[in-house]
Formats: sequence, structure tokens, C-alpha cells
Amino acid sequence: MKKLQFLALAIFSLIFAACGDSNSTSTEQHEHFEVEGWRLYSAEWDTLYSVYRGKEDSKLPGLKVNANCMSAHIHVKFLDENKKEIAGPNDEEHSLGWEVGNKKILDIHFEGGWGFHLKGLKKGETTLILKVKHHDHADAKTPEIKVVVDKALDADKCPFQEDEDDPSTSSGTEHEHEGGNHNHEHDHE
Amino acid sequence: MSMKAEITITSTIMNRTLIRAAMGSLLLGGFLHFSFAQEFVQDLGNSTIVAEQSTETVLDGLREDEVLKTEKLDRKISTTIAETIKNEPDIAFRSMGPAAARPVIKGLSGSHVVITEDGSFCGDMSATSPDHAVASEVLTAHKLRITRGPQILTQSFATAGGVIQVEHNDITFEIARSQGAPTQSAAVSNTQIHGYITDYAESGQPGFATVVGLNGNIHGLSLKGELSARNMGDMKTPKGSLKNTEIENKSIAVGAAYTFERFKFGASFRTFNSNYGIPGGFIGGHPNGVDIELSKRDLTLRGLYLPAQKSSDTLSVTFRLNQYHHTEYETKEYVGAEFAVNQENVHIEKFIAQSGPFFGIHIGGEFDIRSIEMGGYVFTPPTNSYAASLFSVASLNGWRNGLEITLSARLGGAFIRPRESVVADKDAIEDRNFALWAIAAEFSQRVAPGKFLTLDVFRTTRAPTIEELYNQGPHLAAYTYERGNHKLDAESGYGAELEFRDYGEIINWRAAVHSTWFLNHLAPRATGDTNWSQILPIYQVSGDDALLMGANASIETAAETGFYAQAGASYVCGFYQNENWSDMPQIPPFKFHGEFAYVWTHVRAGINTEFALAQNRLDRYEQRTPGFVTFGASLEFHWSLTLAHYSIVLRGDNLFNADVRNHLSRLKSVMPEKGRNVSILAKAEF
Repeated sequence: MKKLQFLALAIFSLIFAACGDSNSTSTEQHEHFEVEGWRLYSAEWDTLYSVYRGKEDSKLPGLKVNANCMSAHIHVKFLDENKKEIAGPNDEEHSLGWEVGNKKILDIHFEGGWGFHLKGLKKGETTLILKVKHHDHADAKTPEIKVVVDKALDADKCPFQEDEDDPSTSSGTEHEHEGGNHNHEHDHE
Repeated sequence: MSMKAEITITSTIMNRTLIRAAMGSLLLGGFLHFSFAQEFVQDLGNSTIVAEQSTETVLDGLREDEVLKTEKLDRKISTTIAETIKNEPDIAFRSMGPAAARPVIKGLSGSHVVITEDGSFCGDMSATSPDHAVASEVLTAHKLRITRGPQILTQSFATAGGVIQVEHNDITFEIARSQGAPTQSAAVSNTQIHGYITDYAESGQPGFATVVGLNGNIHGLSLKGELSARNMGDMKTPKGSLKNTEIENKSIAVGAAYTFERFKFGASFRTFNSNYGIPGGFIGGHPNGVDIELSKRDLTLRGLYLPAQKSSDTLSVTFRLNQYHHTEYETKEYVGAEFAVNQENVHIEKFIAQSGPFFGIHIGGEFDIRSIEMGGYVFTPPTNSYAASLFSVASLNGWRNGLEITLSARLGGAFIRPRESVVADKDAIEDRNFALWAIAAEFSQRVAPGKFLTLDVFRTTRAPTIEELYNQGPHLAAYTYERGNHKLDAESGYGAELEFRDYGEIINWRAAVHSTWFLNHLAPRATGDTNWSQILPIYQVSGDDALLMGANASIETAAETGFYAQAGASYVCGFYQNENWSDMPQIPPFKFHGEFAYVWTHVRAGINTEFALAQNRLDRYEQRTPGFVTFGASLEFHWSLTLAHYSIVLRGDNLFNADVRNHLSRLKSVMPEKGRNVSILAKAEF
């Protein structure tokens, strides 16, 4: 009988030991970057696309690129609750993310900061969702943005050459690109 | 000490009816709980029946027959607990894919419905969000019981809702005996082995589930081991496959029980791991859905003392330590949300069979400590919460012959202590204390042989959950942006239910109406606004006065073999008190379920139908849900051979592949529920 009692005690101890591991989260909570809208500019700071509280501005030209070509740099700005344009977070925790609807049609070239290039792969239409990545998740995202990839051009006939100087990165301009972040802020209504 | 109750009837027919109806004799009808029947003394040849007073009311004895167990449970087993009990009176279920399904009682969901496993809380987060699954494998359940009436207060303040009790029997006191120890059931030998294996497979969500268990008893030490696994693919609907709805569950349970003189000790350890998908592709949701990984570990210790002078007057102490971890992945890299819950609960209960005019007395207390941490994209601060409560339930015979009264009360408090967090508004980080009390009284009158009229009156309450108080942000898996309110008061309400039961020689039927007037009914309601950062609809928790009313009825033939028919219907409606008495959200529509079967000794064959009317009573921004009709069939075999019992249940549900939309599903606007589904359950017990 004592053996059985010892066995029972051993089983109970084993069960206690099995529950000994700690249980806590492996990811931390962080403050998040909240925006009400997005605005995309061309390298020359012409507005290409804008969305505020889910409403896209249909008068704008939208995003286009030729197949086999890279677009010029596209700048990303955000709109706050007062529709005031604000820059993206200037820290290492946040970065630009994206999701392409059809990766056979479109690719994204990212050079750091709050900007990117479109890379046309095949003629057609697809969608692009831009995100403000924060650690492992997205703080904000756009609706699906339509992207038109036009007919293929020879590399030397592409409007933007990859080795061409990107105006957005040129020094001495108002739209300076420093350390991967734009020090640019202006109001558009 | 037990009181004698005399029941006088005047004819042999009435005598038989009474035996069937009031006592539900195992010999004649088999609808009486054994613990009630065992003390019953009958004399068929005499016009006077003398019954020794039971430790439970006649009504509770009759309710025991409504517990889903053995063949009745096997017949209804499905993917989840909610789907398994969906055709019980007043039951519906909310879902977000097949894994994330949770029972709804009388139109009440969330923390109005408490789920327990082996008598203690089921530690998960299924009450807090529609995409959170119940962390319990239905195939490992030996019984599923829906607690109604005043007994709810032994485990919850929410008398307007109910308690779903899942019994795994991990601590097997009933076969743990030492020589000379008091026994409560049939004598058993010193060495005893009991095993079971159950397999389930279906086509509606192609895959399988299996459970293997073994109980052994060696010189009073009882041991249990059990393994289960479930692996099911994407759900097939009439509109095609619903992607990202796969389920992968695993559970392991070990338990031990030992009897030493007048003491019984037991311990069990149960793990449950689940990986399941929440479908995507909705406006505002993630295109590919969300993958959820959850794990749960429960350590349960139980002690039972049986006094020498009266072994029925037990004192039980149950301690449960629970660890629950839940991670939601937007993609393989993105953790959308993470929760870690640590909870300890002590439940002390003294049972007194008889004291003065009272019988079946339960007096006890419950103490609970819960800590929750969040990670990822969750906007609720980490919070510690504490709860303590005292409860009692007692029955007595009323002033009229055949009247039984059960009175119950639960008093306590909840103390919520949020911790500072970068995600929460500092003004919202406020300690909250809630004093809670709930009472219930049940008057059950035998108005004629086999006929019972029961009135329940109750006060219900519940403290707000920490999500309802402090949440402030998007919940990607639920496709909502959720806003709590740290100033919320406790919910309360007053209600009543009137029920009539008639147990005859040919048919048994029951019908009930219920109503609850809620003061400060807490629920997240769509505001019509959108969070444009995440493009998610905003839901705000608010407290509103509301009226919930409903009715249900069921009828079934009494014969054990031969022709069998059963039908049941439930309806509930809810209104907020405002100028228009607008409809409450998430109220299930009228539902009917019926079955015709023929029962042989070892074989049962049946056809069934289920229909629901369209739900046109909608809260703001809620979408109408169309009605549906489905048809099904079943064929069962049950037999015993060489000390083993075998069951095979073949079932075909929704045979005509109807487009079924569940009003309580967040996915209803995108895809229907499961289409044509053929399932098989095979079980062997020895």
C-alpha cells in the first residue's frame, strides 16, 4: 500500500512539474501610428494618388508603369484626422510594406524610407496595398490601389532609367531624402 | 434523517403514469437520473406510493435525462461543442469559421454563457471575441450538460444565460476505492481496466478526429490516460471550399485518484493545442485570413471528504491552475495578436443532503485570480483581476402537495487592476471594483400525474470583461476595430421563465416562455464608423436597457424501441429600450428541428430536418440573413460483444446541399455554412 501511495505522490509531483513553465507573451505591445489617409507623389512631387477616409481622388492619374521598366521614385505621405499631410514615422520600428495582387505583373523596388519604385513585369492590371509595417504587423494600410502596367518597352526606351539620378534623393532640394527618411512636410487641401 | 414524501394516486393507470412521469422509472421509460431513482420505493399493486426523499428535485432529475451522453451524444457529435448541441432547446451558436464556434443560450453569448470542464472553468478566451475557439475537444467529452435554473448560480452570476458543462472525467473518483472505504455505487473489484477508442470522420470538412483513453484501477489508485487528435481540412460549402478553415487539434490528459479512508484525492493534467484558420477575403480583413495557434494547460487538484456519520454530506475542494496562450498570425511572419492568460481558481463546496426542511443543499465559495498579458496588435492593457463569491442552493417541499421550491443566491465581487501600457489611453487605466449579486427561485408544481408547471424568477448580473472596459484598437481576426468603455457599470437584469412539462405513456412534451429585462446590457455594437488606418468597422461596447423574450417547445415519443419522433423549436427576440424599441444585434432567428426514426434493439435509422426563418430583426448596420431548410438521415448500430460495446453512427447532414447562412456568423455575407456532409463515428468501449 505504501508503494501505491508513493506512486500517487510521484504522479501528482510530475503533474505539478509539468505546469511549471512560465506563460507570457513573446511580442510586446507598442504605440501605433494611426493615419486617416495616404498620398503618393511622383519624383517631381506631382500627386499621383490620394485616399482619405476610404475615398480615393479619382481625378488623379494613379499608378502606371511600363512592363520591363522601373518607375521613377514615388514618395509616400500620410494624412492625419484633419487631412493635414504628415511624414511617416522617423524611427527604426516602422517601415514601408506592400502587398502586390499579382506578382507576375508587378514588383516593387524599395530603397528605404517612405518611397518606392514600381517595376513592371508584364502588361496588365493588378492591385497594390501599401502598409506601415511596425514590427510584425501593419499599423496602417491603403485600400487596394489599382496599378496599370502598360506595354513592354526596351530598357533603353523606359521613361526612367535605373541609373538615372533620382530627383528625390538629390541634395539641396526642398524634398530631401536623408537617412532613408523624408524631411518633408507641407499642407495640401 | 431523510424525509418521507407521500404521493397518493387513485388508479393503476395513474399509478403507472406517475411512475413514468414523476419518477421516470428506469424500468419503464429510462428517463430518470439514477441517483434519483435509486431511493425510490414503489408498489405497483398499491394505490399508494411512498418515495424516500431524493437529494435533488424531481425537475432536476428530469433535466438529467436531457444531458447529452452515451448514444445520445454519439448521435450528435460534430466538429465543436457548439455544433454538437445546436439543436438543444434555446441553443444557437455564433461562429467565424468552423473552429471558432461558441454556444449561445436564449440569444445571449459571450460571458453570459459559461463553459466548464469537469466542474471548473474552461480557461480560454472564447467569450471575448468571435474568432476565438472554445479550447476543448468535443470528442473527449463524456457528457455535455446545459445547466439551467437556480443551479447556474453555483458557477456563474449569469442566470439569464447558462452553463455548458463538459465532462471529461479526468479524475475518476468513482472507480478509485480502497478497502473499507465508503462506496456510493456498485461494488467494484480491486483491479479494473476500462478503455475506449472513438474515431470520427466527415466529408463536409474532410478529415478525421480520434480519441483513445484508458482508465485503470489498482488497489484503490485510479489512473487515466487519454490522447486525442483532430485534423480537418477546409470546409466545403455549396459555393465552394472556404479557404483557411482547417483545424488541427491535439489533447493529452492524465489523471489519478486515490481514496484513503474517508478522503478522496485526485489530480489531473490536460493539455489542448489547436491550430485553426479564420477565413479571409473580406472588406477590411486580411486577404488570406488569419491563422491562430492556441495552447491550454490545466492542472486540477480535487479533494473530497465523506463524513463518517453521513457520507452523502460531502465537502469538495477543487483547485485549477490554467495557462492559456493564443497567437494570431496575419501571415507566417506577422503576429497580429498574442494573449497569455494565467488563472487560478479554487472552488469549495459543501453538500448537505438534508437539513430541516431543505434538501440537496450546496453551499460554497469560489476564488479566482487571473492575469492576462497581450502582445502584438492588441490594444487592451495587461490586467490582473480577482474575484470572490459565495453561493448557496437549497430545495424544499412547498406548501402544496407536489410543489418543490429551489432557492439560490450568489454574492461576490470582481476587482480589476489594469497595468500601464503604451497602447492604452492613460485616462482609461482605472481600477474598477464591482459588487455582484444574483438570486434565483424555482417553483415546480406537479399539477397532475406526469405534468409539471415550473416558474423560475431570477436576478442576473455580470461584471464587464477587461476587453469591454479597456480595449481600444483593431482586432484583425475579427475584422473589427473595438472600443471599450472604462466607465461601464455591471450588467444586471430581472427575468422569469415559465415551463410546462407533460410526461405521458406515448409522448413527452415541454414548452417554455422566458423574458429578461436587462439594465445596462453590455454588448459591442456597430457604430457605423470606420477606422481608416486599418479600414475596419468600429464596434463600441455600450450598456443599454433591453428586453429579451423567447419561447421554446419540444416533443418526443416515449417508446424505447419502434417508431420514434422528436421535434423542437426555439425563438427569441430582443429590443433596446429607446423610442423605436430597436432590435438587439446577434439574435438568432426562429429555428425548428425534427426527426423521425425507427429503433430496433441494436439498430436505429432516422431522417431529420432543420429549418430557420430569415432574420429580419436587425440592429444598426447588421445584415439580414435568409432562412434555410436542410434534410438529413442517420443510421446507427450499437452492440455488445465479448465484454466490449461497439457503436457506429453514420450521418448525412444537409443532403441537398442547401445554402445555409448562420445569422450569428461573421462570414455569412461571404460564404454559407457547411454543405452536404456525410460523417461516420465509430466507437469501442471495453
